Amino acid sequence: MDFKLDDEQQMIVQTIRKFAERDLRGWGPDADRAGAAPDRLVPVASELGFFLDAVPAANDGMLEGAYSHATRALRGYELGRGCAAMAALLETNVEPALAVGKWGSSNAKQALFGSLASGGLATTVHDSRGLLEITTDGEGLRVTGKLGPAPALAAATHVLVVAREAVFLLSTDAVKRDAITPSGWRAAKWATIHLDTKGVHGWNVLARGEQAKLVGDEILAWARVSLAARAAGVAASAMELAKHYANERVQFKQKIGSFESLIRLRDDGETAAITARLFALHAAWALDTNQPNAFDLASRARVVAGDAVAKATIDAVQIFGGYGFVNDYPVEKLMRDARAFEALHGDERFGRVLAEKANLAGGN
Amino acid sequence: MDLFHDSPMFSGVRQMLGGFASKLIRPIAIKHDQEESMPWDLMKAAAGMGLTQTSIVDGRKQITGVDDSAGDPKKPQSMARLAVIGSEELAWGCAGICLAIGGSGLAASPVARMGTEEQKAEFRKLLAGSDEKGHIKVAAMALSEPGTGSDISGLATTATQDGDYWVIRGSKQWITNGQSAAVYVVWAQTDVNAGRAGVRGFLVARGTPGLVPGKKETKLGIRASETAQVHFEDCRVHKDMMLGIAGEASGGLADTKKMLDSTRPVVGAQATGIARAAYEFLLERVRGGSLHGTPMASHQHIMFELAEMQMEITASRMLAHRAAWMADHRLDNVMEASMAKAHGARTAQTVTTRAMTLLGEEALEPGHPVEKWYRDAKIYDIFEGTGQIQRRIIAKQLTGQNPT
Repeated sequence: MDFKLDDEQQMIVQTIRKFAERDLRGWGPDADRAGAAPDRLVPVASELGFFLDAVPAANDGMLEGAYSHATRALRGYELGRGCAAMAALLETNVEPALAVGKWGSSNAKQALFGSLASGGLATTVHDSRGLLEITTDGEGLRVTGKLGPAPALAAATHVLVVAREAVFLLSTDAVKRDAITPSGWRAAKWATIHLDTKGVHGWNVLARGEQAKLVGDEILAWARVSLAARAAGVAASAMELAKHYANERVQFKQKIGSFESLIRLRDDGETAAITARLFALHAAWALDTNQPNAFDLASRARVVAGDAVAKATIDAVQIFGGYGFVNDYPVEKLMRDARAFEALHGDERFGRVLAEKANLAGGN
Repeated sequence: MDLFHDSPMFSGVRQMLGGFASKLIRPIAIKHDQEESMPWDLMKAAAGMGLTQTSIVDGRKQITGVDDSAGDPKKPQSMARLAVIGSEELAWGCAGICLAIGGSGLAASPVARMGTEEQKAEFRKLLAGSDEKGHIKVAAMALSEPGTGSDISGLATTATQDGDYWVIRGSKQWITNGQSAAVYVVWAQTDVNAGRAGVRGFLVARGTPGLVPGKKETKLGIRASETAQVHFEDCRVHKDMMLGIAGEASGGLADTKKMLDSTRPVVGAQATGIARAAYEFLLERVRGGSLHGTPMASHQHIMFELAEMQMEITASRMLAHRAAWMADHRLDNVMEASMAKAHGARTAQTVTTRAMTLLGEEALEPGHPVEKWYRDAKIYDIFEGTGQIQRRIIAKQLTGQNPT
């Protein structure tokens, strides 16, 4: 067993770490207050290879050979340490690009990859509660219901919809979007969409019926690993900030970082963040190497990372005390940012329970 | 032991304030959270009902008609229990608005406890009528400082005597009503060699030269309650405005700490109110909701979470009520008050966090009440003594030692 990163991975981690610590952390507070990322984000991130890393080179992208989820998890962790909202924007194209690349028709590829190559964004929405009404319309579909809230949806030209009945690519042309700014990931260009018997061309349907479950599970496994890695990064960042503060703040004539209760609070948070990062990397490796339990590991990694980021951010605010509650200090933003990691794509634990029940009912 | 407070007086207050919270607080809670604004009109209505707590200064009867200061001193009081019952209801409506309504009470309490009749009269005078915007006048308790959050014995603000005046210098942090107050109760060190005994409170009227309201904080939660810095730049205050009697022990920091002890069950009850709000919202969703065609209420995963929430909420409520019952019966409740506060804060954070996870993406939408309650809940583990301070108090009661 070898946990050592290869040369390329080390270079990526160092580059993204520098970008996250210098730029994303620096831009984060203002982006949070404004509810928008700075204009500099896109050109700087594009230089670093974001947005087109999952688009095949043959379609004006940067992907040659197999996509590495391990490398994505390594960079996702660093991005999470920088800013969760901007990290979401930088990672948003990956699932739609990989899914269309793997299961999409030539028309779908042309439409999506052409848009992404021109600077467009795409996003993924999971109908985790079965709220969409999807009916067959010839080769295509008719869709009614609400999409989102989802990050990047306000700016996306295409949405990859993962539902129980079908997986399809939806163009946002002529679709009315309601842009929103939630409490967390405020700069991530969120929106909701209400569809009323919206037609989807047959060439944009990636899978339906039994096949939709298999395809959907794989797409969600990619998304879960990415979310887990970024959540681990946010948890680690919360504890780094808390450690720095606790070693400066003096109460009762001693640094608060020397109180046993706060040492333990921080230590537990750090342990959870380290565990979450390792689990996300393990699940990513399983995806890259087509391990039979890869999807299950991805789901479990998200459970662990969700718990880690929830606890670490709440405890970081606790360690900062009154300063943790005000916007001039960085940790209250992290506590707001933490929620989306558990809420997006639905409650992961519940999803696991339902899947296990279905397995048992099917005699598996 | 009167655990359930089922007398008509207690149930009447619960019903009345529950109705007030439901009809008047809830409909405006999200607006004031998003605007980070004080609910001045509602505060006026609340003041008319005797809910602002400044009435304790002039000994007026509270909303129940009960006057605990009169009658047999051996007879149990009722105010502590009424306060926890009422606080849970108001915080169920909105913790920020609950704190906006009660914010002046933080300043009124030391005046009522330590002030002379003249000081009480001055306090009343300064809060009479409306301000230039037509708002009711509010008071601020200025105790915490940039360098002293949990450790209130290390105050850096000083008061130096100069003839008939005290000259106050220093800055205060996290002050409720800090920008808007008509009168401030300011705590300052009068004798650097006297330690805690040298810390005294002063009444300072708005407009006093050298009193400079500072920056209003943008906060994670309780945004309907104003929090600001306050600066004192050679602020001269007449010696008659020092709370208590000069040269006597009363009016010092020890009295302030006792006052904080008395508020802990109330704070615990407010946290319980937030938890109950999130729990009830989730329960309502579950009752009417379905998941891939099956009723949500048929899932153990969800229902056992709700059962767990209900257990914790009930435990928090009973801890607060026990501490209040002990206070009303004049029993030492230092440990029980801290348990109530710490447990309530933990319950509020746990319940709101789990409720958000169970609701999924829905709870991320702007203005979602559960998301607001998640943000509101956190302060209850920080202000009025952090969770760590409460455990330190409890631990000291167990062995007599302060663990570090």
